[in-house]
Amino acid sequence: MKALLPSLLVSVACLATLSCGAPTNQPDQTTIGVAFETLQTEYWVASLDAMKAELAKHDVRVLEAVADGDPNRQLEQVQSFIARKVDGIIVVPKDAESVIPMIRAANKANIPIVLYNRGPGEGAGPCVTVVADNRAITRDTVRRMIASASERSKPMQGMILIGDLGDINAIERREGFDEAISESNGAVEVVARVPTVWNQEKALAGVTNALQANPDIEFIFSSSDFLFPSIVAALKNADKYHPIGHERHVVLGGFDGDATAYRMLQDKYLDADGVQNVYFECSQAVDAVLKMSRGETVEPVLKDQGVVIHQDNLDQESHRMWGAQVAAKQP
Amino acid sequence: MTRFLVNHSPALLLVAVLIGFSIGSPRFLTPQNAVNLLTQGASATILAAGMTWVLVTSGVDLSAGSLMFLVAAACGKMLQSDVEPLMAAVAAAAIGPLCGVAHGMLIAYAGASPFIVTLASLFLLRGAGLWFSRTRAMNLPEAFSRWGAEKLLGVPLPVWVAGVVVLVLYWLQTHTAFGRQCYAVGYDPAAARKAGVHVRAALMKTYALSGACAAIAALTALTQLGAVSPTFGKDREFDAIAAAVLGGASLFGGRGNVFPGAVIGAMTVASVFNGLNVMNANPYVYPLITAAVVFLAMLFDGLRRRQLVQSARTMRWNVEGAR
Repeated sequence: MKALLPSLLVSVACLATLSCGAPTNQPDQTTIGVAFETLQTEYWVASLDAMKAELAKHDVRVLEAVADGDPNRQLEQVQSFIARKVDGIIVVPKDAESVIPMIRAANKANIPIVLYNRGPGEGAGPCVTVVADNRAITRDTVRRMIASASERSKPMQGMILIGDLGDINAIERREGFDEAISESNGAVEVVARVPTVWNQEKALAGVTNALQANPDIEFIFSSSDFLFPSIVAALKNADKYHPIGHERHVVLGGFDGDATAYRMLQDKYLDADGVQNVYFECSQAVDAVLKMSRGETVEPVLKDQGVVIHQDNLDQESHRMWGAQVAAKQP
Repeated sequence: MTRFLVNHSPALLLVAVLIGFSIGSPRFLTPQNAVNLLTQGASATILAAGMTWVLVTSGVDLSAGSLMFLVAAACGKMLQSDVEPLMAAVAAAAIGPLCGVAHGMLIAYAGASPFIVTLASLFLLRGAGLWFSRTRAMNLPEAFSRWGAEKLLGVPLPVWVAGVVVLVLYWLQTHTAFGRQCYAVGYDPAAARKAGVHVRAALMKTYALSGACAAIAALTALTQLGAVSPTFGKDREFDAIAAAVLGGASLFGGRGNVFPGAVIGAMTVASVFNGLNVMNANPYVYPLITAAVVFLAMLFDGLRRRQLVQSARTMRWNVEGAR
């Protein structure tokens, strides 16, 4: 009995702590589980903040989970949401395939599931996907870059920084880039395709090497804005980082709409940026999961058409750029 | 001939890579690209040098990349709070050896496995860095980032830093008792203990060195990049292990050197990436080529080990025959 006493005390203490720590909620309050694959870029942090703000507007109780890039952990988190009988699940999956078991598990438990930012692979089962039209937004961004360099002699030598080859969004952005280049009638000759695996250090080395091998590059598109510090460092080292209007200005474009891109647009170093509308996407995701939890039908794919922000529409459209709001909060 | 090839495989592999890319592109073997290569490989060389020390003691440091991120995040935060760049760099660099000492204590004194301790640390340190930086990218002031582009006697500053680190570690490894003790610990810790080697102290110093190298590598990369992102340093430990093994370090301990080993390994990894960039290779080819080079390094490591075992056996037979 003496040996059992400490264990009993610890158990009671743990139970007391758990019961005190559990968030209080009204019995009929809707509960939504939100599972993010990672929070390792500003985009994901802004998305989570926007998602929570949107759910708060609807007086929804939120269960949060972050899988730190591990799909198995994310599956466990989704299963835990199901065990806790949530009314709906919003998942930001790592990739198209690893999310399939999560969709099947939610379907089996009759819990609506919404995928944010990345769609599922084939044969996944019923779910709703909210995703930016990566291909179209990139195509329009690159078209704008080409238009802004219309007075330059052709063909311009160009470079693209490619993301993770296992990420469908990165692939679609590359396809959008290729589409715009192929329809430009030889305005740009792509002389460097730099794989970055979404890694800034690899991007810096890659851009430096490409500029070394092709010193006449004057057109660079980055598949994500978060690689801009690497591009800027490499351009500075090659004495090619100059504002728009300067004779050595390199035409720059990116995708995402983060705070760095916003500042570069303001400072007139960036020609165009394809912006994912985080606020629209989060509101669509929350709206969809709540509608489904009430038994309503929702379109299987909800696309964010995004917006291309450039020097001519920066003042009018910057409110749609999530990075502008992040930049406003930073010192 | 086979013995020669196996024993000199790291240098031969680097030469093969250099010749291969020179044939592939006339822009590869130019003085300017050589400077490029050395600059880009500076941070990787420093990290590989630290990793080589750990591998020599039959350990591993999986936390190196996360430690780089924590150091970078701390430095970035201080710079954003208007701390003098040199002060911020020195204060952030101190985190490296401190974390290394913590790893060393757990491994040497608590008897924990290096794999488990540094794996746990990989998550812990990255988590701490993310918490510290609030997952926000930090752009660093020009006063700090210009160090990465500075030159001394025509040689970029990051190359000087890597050179000094390699020189110090090389001297420690070849001219001090501590350096020789590390080989003994890695080859056979029980025998080393019997021979009077303070195994625990040697391990503790080794992990402190590895932590210091990760911190210096982080600051070297940071001055070139000019920004801290939440993915900074991610997976760098694996590149460092690959570079150390490419340079001749054994995953089984007791073998490897900082110079020329780690330098050759790091330069081989950097040359492959640089060469593929210069040739504008298909992005899908990168992992295939990188994996092939690492596979070759592992193969040579296995062959060297087999050769050592055979030599030991032959020596024993000879001794027994003489009796």
